[in-house]
Amino acid sequence: MAAVCTVYTTQSLNSSCSISTPTKSHLGFNQKQVVFYSTGKRSSKRSGGSLITCSAGDSQTVVIGLAADSGCGKSTFMRRLTSVFGGAAEPPKGGNPDSNTLISDMTTVICLDDYHSLDRNGRKEKGVTALDPRANDFDLMYEQVKAIKSGVAVEKPIYNHVTGLLDPPELIKPPKILVIEGLHPMFDERVRDLLDFSIYLDISNEVKFAWKIQRDMAERGHSLESIKASIEARKPDFDAYIDPQKQYADAVIEVLPTQLIPDDNEGKAQPSHGFHAEGSSLALTLASNSPTALTVTSAMRLDELIYVESHLSNLSTKFYGEVTQQMLKHADFPGSNNGTGLFQTIVGLKIRDLYEQIIASKAATPLEATKA
Amino acid sequence: VLRPVRAAPDRISEKVEKSIKEAEEACSGDPASSECVAAWDEVEELSAAASHARDRQKANSDPLENYCKENPETDECRTYDN
Repeated sequence: MAAVCTVYTTQSLNSSCSISTPTKSHLGFNQKQVVFYSTGKRSSKRSGGSLITCSAGDSQTVVIGLAADSGCGKSTFMRRLTSVFGGAAEPPKGGNPDSNTLISDMTTVICLDDYHSLDRNGRKEKGVTALDPRANDFDLMYEQVKAIKSGVAVEKPIYNHVTGLLDPPELIKPPKILVIEGLHPMFDERVRDLLDFSIYLDISNEVKFAWKIQRDMAERGHSLESIKASIEARKPDFDAYIDPQKQYADAVIEVLPTQLIPDDNEGKAQPSHGFHAEGSSLALTLASNSPTALTVTSAMRLDELIYVESHLSNLSTKFYGEVTQQMLKHADFPGSNNGTGLFQTIVGLKIRDLYEQIIASKAATPLEATKA
Repeated sequence: VLRPVRAAPDRISEKVEKSIKEAEEACSGDPASSECVAAWDEVEELSAAASHARDRQKANSDPLENYCKENPETDECRTYDN
C-alpha cells in the first residue's frame, strides 16, 4: 500500500525576496531533475520591502517545523534529519526519563505535546482530544519558540506520555537548529511566522490504517476494530485542525496506496527486481496536478537506490552517493526500502542546505548594510 | 497470525489494554460523543507511547553491546582505532 510517495512544495515557496538568489527556493521536477529551491520566503514576509532584512534576522537559531499525526513517522524522520547533521540525538542527560526532547550537537528536537494545556484527565473531563486547539497552549508555545530563536534559554514543560501528566519543566538551551515536531507547528500564525522551514507528513487514511496495524496489532487488547475505531474517532478533529496546516508547509511528503500492486493491504510494496528505464516497477513520475512534485512508486532494494539517486539532480548532497549513504546508515528504520525514507532523506539534505544558506546570508548581511 | 503479547514494558501495555476497554465502554452509548472521541484519542496516545518504548527496548537488545558499555576493558569489548 505505502508505495507512492510524493514530495511537493506549495506555491508560497516562490519567493519575491529581492536579496535571495533565484536559484534557491523551489522544488521542481523537470525531466528527471529534482530542483528544490528554498529560502527567502519567511524572510521576505518580514522584510517589508527592505533589502537588508532579507535574512532570518539576528538570531543564531534556525527553526524548523514538522507536522504529522501520531504514528505517521515523525520520530523516524527526526532520526534521519538529525543524522544528516551528524551525531546521535539523545534525550537530555540526567533529566526526566520521560522527557520528549532529543539533543545532538547541532539540533534540538522538541515535541509540541509538551505544550498541552490540558493533561490526559483534563481532556477526558472536557471531552476534547489532543488534536483540539483548546487542549494546547499556543501563547506559551509562541513565547518559548520565539525566545529560543532569539538565543534565550527557556524552562519548557514536559508532557509525560506514560502518565498523561504535565511534569516539572526542563531547561532548553538555544541550539543551532531547533526542530519543533508535533500536531500543531503551523497552526498558530505567530508560531508559523517563526519557522524558517516547515514540513508536513501527509499520510492517506489507507496507509495510516496499514501502518497502525503493523504498529499496534502485537499489543494486547488491540484488534482491527479498535485500530479502526481510534482512527475514525479522531478523524473529525484531524480534518479540522491538523490537515489544513499542509497549505502552509514548504514541503509535503505524501504517502498514498500503491497503484502497482492491486489490493496491497500490507502498506509496504513488494521489492522491485532490477531497474529498467521503462516499464519498470520502479518509476519516477511527475504528479499530474503539481508541476513541482516528485513521485516515487514501489519498494526498492537499497543497492538499487544509487541508480535512482544518479538520475536526480539538485539534491544538495555534498558528494555523489550521499543520499544512498544516509539511507544505508539507517537500513533498519521503517521506510528505508521505499519512497518515504528516500524523501525524508532528501528533505533532510535540503534542510541542511537551507541552514547553510541562512548562516551564510547572516554573515553577508552586515556587509550589505554598509553598502546600502 | 499475530499473537497478542505484551510487547511494550508492562506499565504501558496494561494502560493500553485498559484504555481500549474504557473507550469501548464510553462509545457504547453514543459513538459520536465527545467522551468517546476523547477516549479513543487516549488509546492512540498510549499506543504511540508503547510503540516508542518498544523501539527503545529493541535498540538496547544486543547483549554484547550492553555488556561492553559497562565493561569496555574486557577482552571481548576492547576496540582500538589503530
